[in-house]
Amino acid sequence: MNSILEIRGISKAFGGLQAVRNFDLRVREKDLVGIIGPNGAGKTTVFNLITGFIRPDGGEVWFKGENITRLKPFQIVNRGLCRTFQLVDLFKEMTALENVMIPCFSHRATRERPKGEKAWRVAMEFLEGVGLASRFNEQVKNLAFGELRLLDIARAMATQPDILLLDEPFSGLDVEDAAVLSSVIQKMHQKGQTMIIIEHRLRDLLKLVESVVAIVFGEKVAEGTPQAIMNNPKVINAYLGDRRE
Amino acid sequence: MNRYEDLFGPRMFYRRLLGLAIFSAVVLLAPLVVEDPYYRELLFLCHYYVILASSWDLLSGFTGNINFGHAFFIGGAGYTGAVLNLNLGWQPWLTLPIGGITAALCGLVVGTVTLRLKGPYFASVTFCFGALLYKWLMVSSKFLGGEEGLSGIVPLTDSPLGNYYLSGLFMLAVVFILYFISKSSFGLILRSIGENETASEGSGINTTYYKVVAFIISAAIAGVAGAMYAHAQMHVGPEMAHDSLSALILMMAVVGGMGSIIGPIMGAYLLTLVNETLRFMGELRLLIYSGAVVAVIFFAPKGLLEIFSRAIRRLIGQERGKVI
Repeated sequence: MNSILEIRGISKAFGGLQAVRNFDLRVREKDLVGIIGPNGAGKTTVFNLITGFIRPDGGEVWFKGENITRLKPFQIVNRGLCRTFQLVDLFKEMTALENVMIPCFSHRATRERPKGEKAWRVAMEFLEGVGLASRFNEQVKNLAFGELRLLDIARAMATQPDILLLDEPFSGLDVEDAAVLSSVIQKMHQKGQTMIIIEHRLRDLLKLVESVVAIVFGEKVAEGTPQAIMNNPKVINAYLGDRRE
Repeated sequence: MNRYEDLFGPRMFYRRLLGLAIFSAVVLLAPLVVEDPYYRELLFLCHYYVILASSWDLLSGFTGNINFGHAFFIGGAGYTGAVLNLNLGWQPWLTLPIGGITAALCGLVVGTVTLRLKGPYFASVTFCFGALLYKWLMVSSKFLGGEEGLSGIVPLTDSPLGNYYLSGLFMLAVVFILYFISKSSFGLILRSIGENETASEGSGINTTYYKVVAFIISAAIAGVAGAMYAHAQMHVGPEMAHDSLSALILMMAVVGGMGSIIGPIMGAYLLTLVNETLRFMGELRLLIYSGAVVAVIFFAPKGLLEIFSRAIRRLIGQERGKVI
């Protein structure tokens, strides 16, 4: 199967700090890929480079056969690539329903919406998909943290993405909320959604994904199945340091 | 209000329409009660400021980019209308729309120039547009009358009553259009830009397009109002492009409640009528007027509309959510 997303040697430096160095990745349709690495490894920077929030210094990003490296974030979303944010980034004074309605008015979502179908009805379906239908009229600032994570996913799904990028979705969740989120992600994947997930909570991530990429100091150090990655000496060294005899 | 059909269904639409219909009836029937020409002129002023404040609110109240140069469009269109009338004999039915188109084109230019700017930078650049126009008008004595401006412009209508109804109908049209724009997808997207432009862009919204369109609509409406005012006063002067007018409009929107269209309407009526009512106090007027504005902002930071909405919610027993 051909790749739907190809990242070819992207690099980014912030002043003297090389945040990402020659990063490559190929993602096929229906893949569920995990990206792991210690704090400051460059994982979120990779997401920012893919989604157009930061311009790479070198390399290219190809999506469905098109070079999207220089496109603006909204243009990339309208081509079918959407992300969530590490720090939940929603419209706090709006209700949950309004938050999910906004992406329903994007060019792509408007095109995909059946003629005559109201945006708020479509938005309610996405809220139902993450179990937040009963909270539709609640202002975002009044929602619990776990609900915010689910709402962010609903917002991203409302753009009708071909690939969904989730940035540390389990961060800050308790066991119960993590189980709910895990179930939502599994359902999405079963419906054929292609996803890339950055996560620190390896136990939650490795249960879900089929392949894992490990990044350390901005460079890809390993790629493979979850089992292979967890036994990779470079990955172990990155998380635990050198073994001392 | 728990059912989502109530928020978006016909019930909410008709409720809003009823509110606007009541307001329209009051405006159209007021002259039956208000017969003194002085007070009809005062209400004309109220209409004028309602149009300016609500048009300002569509851009600045919703997107959060505070426009300090709204007078640029008002004065520019006012002078455009005056020049066309005095030199070519064009009547108000032509000069008003031309004034609006001129202001819309200026809005396109200003909107494009300020695309990447936010916060104080956006405010400063918009302020500069107004200040530059004001200075240019002050020194352009040969064609534009300089400090004294241009006089002898054809009146808007034959009487204060005519001015009242023309301005009232225009105001009602603007209020209806802007209100339903604000409740539409366009208004929701503008609000999302004001709240969190990054998240809006990350949701696939071309925020630049929406900001520029809001600028054009806001400027066009202000431009028509400026031309209308010039004809009503039969005079146009540089004060129509002065930053004090921009500041007054901003104050009206803030006092009434930004980001709502209805709030600026309340603010415009209140501040215009209070300002006139306090005229008998002479120099104390400015002190009391300013103090009252500060007091309102202090006790009702989100504007008078928030207090009004809370009262209505208590009256109808609704716990949360929007009522207007």
